[in-house]
Amino acid sequence: MVEYKPQYYPGGSNVAANRRKYIDPNYKLRKLRTISDDDLVRLMGHRVPGEAYKSVHPPLEELGEPTCPIREIVEPTPGAKAGDRIRYIQFTDSVYFAPLTPYMRAWMGHMRYRGVDIGVLSGRVPLEARERDLEKVAKELVETEIFDPARVGIRGATVHGHALRLDENGLMFDALRRFQYDKNKGEVVYVKDQVGVPLDRPIYVGKPTPEEELRKITSQFRVDGEAFRNDKELIEFVQRIHMLRTEAGFDPNKVKDL
Amino acid sequence: MSEEKKMFLEALRRKFKESPEEKQTKFYIYDGWKQSKRKREFVEAAQKIAKERTVPFYNPDLHLGGIPLGQRVLMPYRLSGTDIYCEGDDLHFINNAAMQQMWHDIRRTVIVGLDAAHTVLQKRLGKEVTPETVNHYLEVLNHALPGAAVVQEHMVETHPGLVSDSYVKVFTGDDELADEIDDRFLIDINKEFPAEHAAQLKAAIGKRIYQVCRMPTLVAMTCDGGTMSRWAAMQISMSMINAYKLMAGEAAVGEFAFAAKHAEVIEMGTLMPWRRARGPNEPGGIPLGYMADICQASRVKPEDPVWVALEAISMAAVLYDQFWFGSYMSGGVGFTQYATCTYTDNILDDFCYYGAEYVKKKYGGFAKVKPSWDVINDVATEVTLYGLEQYERYPALMETHFGGSQRAAVVAAGAGVSVSLVTGHSTAGINGWYLSQLLHKEEMGRLGFYGYDCQDQCGSANSFSWRSDEGLPFNLRGVNYPNYALNVGHQSAYCGIVSAAHGGRGDAWTTNPLIKVAFADKDLKFDFTHPRLCFGKGALREFMPAGERDLIIPSH
Repeated sequence: MVEYKPQYYPGGSNVAANRRKYIDPNYKLRKLRTISDDDLVRLMGHRVPGEAYKSVHPPLEELGEPTCPIREIVEPTPGAKAGDRIRYIQFTDSVYFAPLTPYMRAWMGHMRYRGVDIGVLSGRVPLEARERDLEKVAKELVETEIFDPARVGIRGATVHGHALRLDENGLMFDALRRFQYDKNKGEVVYVKDQVGVPLDRPIYVGKPTPEEELRKITSQFRVDGEAFRNDKELIEFVQRIHMLRTEAGFDPNKVKDL
Repeated sequence: MSEEKKMFLEALRRKFKESPEEKQTKFYIYDGWKQSKRKREFVEAAQKIAKERTVPFYNPDLHLGGIPLGQRVLMPYRLSGTDIYCEGDDLHFINNAAMQQMWHDIRRTVIVGLDAAHTVLQKRLGKEVTPETVNHYLEVLNHALPGAAVVQEHMVETHPGLVSDSYVKVFTGDDELADEIDDRFLIDINKEFPAEHAAQLKAAIGKRIYQVCRMPTLVAMTCDGGTMSRWAAMQISMSMINAYKLMAGEAAVGEFAFAAKHAEVIEMGTLMPWRRARGPNEPGGIPLGYMADICQASRVKPEDPVWVALEAISMAAVLYDQFWFGSYMSGGVGFTQYATCTYTDNILDDFCYYGAEYVKKKYGGFAKVKPSWDVINDVATEVTLYGLEQYERYPALMETHFGGSQRAAVVAAGAGVSVSLVTGHSTAGINGWYLSQLLHKEEMGRLGFYGYDCQDQCGSANSFSWRSDEGLPFNLRGVNYPNYALNVGHQSAYCGIVSAAHGGRGDAWTTNPLIKVAFADKDLKFDFTHPRLCFGKGALREFMPAGERDLIIPSH
């Protein structure tokens, strides 16, 4: 069997290179901030810090699973082993040079994490997993370069804002005002959890990333940044995919030698 | 397109009262719902009603546990192609009488051919059929169709004041026959259509003669679409018995009844399968090409197929997205803002006219080249990039189409319409739509929502497919096509893609010449030649619908 070498994303632009980088699990995301485990639990709002994980079934060891070759191949995640509930974290990424786009979240997440279910909408990306697995994944999603405190929102509901202009402090609109800009500290602070329940104490998530830096690390094409129009390789790749799908849909024999 | 020519800028300036290029703004200062005149009106009305009925009612302060709508600007909308501005609420079909009437006018229409009935009358029953007898029959049917008796004794009837919008007219492609028909009953193709279109239509219809039956709007409001052919059938057969002095029970009349009532019936929409079960003449069964033909804009400006397509798009947006997906399929308050994006603020207009100019310059006009990968790739890609770049150049535009599904629909509609125009081929047009969706997804890294994207990411494969479960000439597809059954926000543009292909070719109709002629009728309540203007009038509360019940309710 020929050795498989993943090709994560086509394109000759810096944006395409960033996409490749984030999708590639061998690239270690740069850690920029520390959010304590307890604060992360508060932000997500699924349990109180220190509270035991609720379970939906007994631990797999006690459950007595049937003989199954797939079960022998696939090692259950810690959360699955323990029988944790499936819970979520959901992000909204502004169109204004946020590090990730919704599809990037999915592509990246599926390459980097096991046992996650990621949905993609234009204005929100839910990631679901067993609760203890989720907390581990969420930590990386919030502490590293792919999270910008101002242009990425942790929002379980009422996500409206990804396409709106930024406010006077450069923050993305949030009807629930879960996060605010603390002018004295120059940091973004969450005062409500992801579904809008007020927090017992604020959680600081750091300074907004400077615009210049965002433009370098973003995976978004924009005409006022790096224009998609200029990435000919990527455009031709998409056109080819479309042509192959169309031709094959009409007559699969037509694409044999293409 | 140069800056000053961009068609959406005026609306953006009025919507936000800020420069459309401004990247930052203020939020949370607009006093919530109180910034909206319409919401204030709603609150006032609801408070009065709640007192009267004692059951709690509309209260926007319940929104988000006390955080009301209106943390951002509740922007007004401009009806594209008009100078009418309104609030978003005015474009919900419940709040817009013109939208309701458009749907009622379609639903209450069936076309019934007369030739089979005439053949049986003459050959089986020995009756003479002449222009005079036809005119007499039509007079009888205009008495009976709204709900009156013509044969039996001691019958109850409907109040003419309640059913005044019900009537029957006829049309034919035969000028000599048309001359013999009383003008009061005739849809005169020569008068209603530009000469070139009239010639095409008459050639297609030939010597055949068709009735267009309009049942009362009140019937459309209180019964379903499946009622219409039955209502028409009963009144047609009774009127025939009256007009031609037929025996009401002999076996031969059974044959005649089939010929007169059923053999040549053309419904506006077909039956739906059980999982989306509805009778005929419901929105889900109306093919895209029928919607394009029901729109009559092509009679007004045949030289401007872009405008014609945009008018058709608005009708399809209201019918398929707002009525069908937004209510029949989803329940609840519906999908108004998925739909309005294609017919407000001149945004799609700008993208389509950009595409039209592009193909005129590069390919020498409309329908001048055959579909090819070079043409589809070139035109769909260029218009897609143009559309996406406008959202990025004008943050107010991005904010107007705040949902990815809105942007995906409008950008791909621009691409699809443009490919249709350049090729004169609607299947090429829909293929351009799908390329646009794939490009959009890679450019923005986002598209619509799960259910929105699904069809678009597999659509390339079915655009030219002819396999039985997924293939269908594009004009005949609609929301009953399997892959489009959950396809909110798409059908409006699809209708425009059909319209633009045929408009670009100079065709008088897209799919069915009978449908096209049936709606060339000045006595319809809704103005099918200017749907966007009509919706605007509805928004301004200047549209008078049919189906009012003042005659039978207490004065108010």
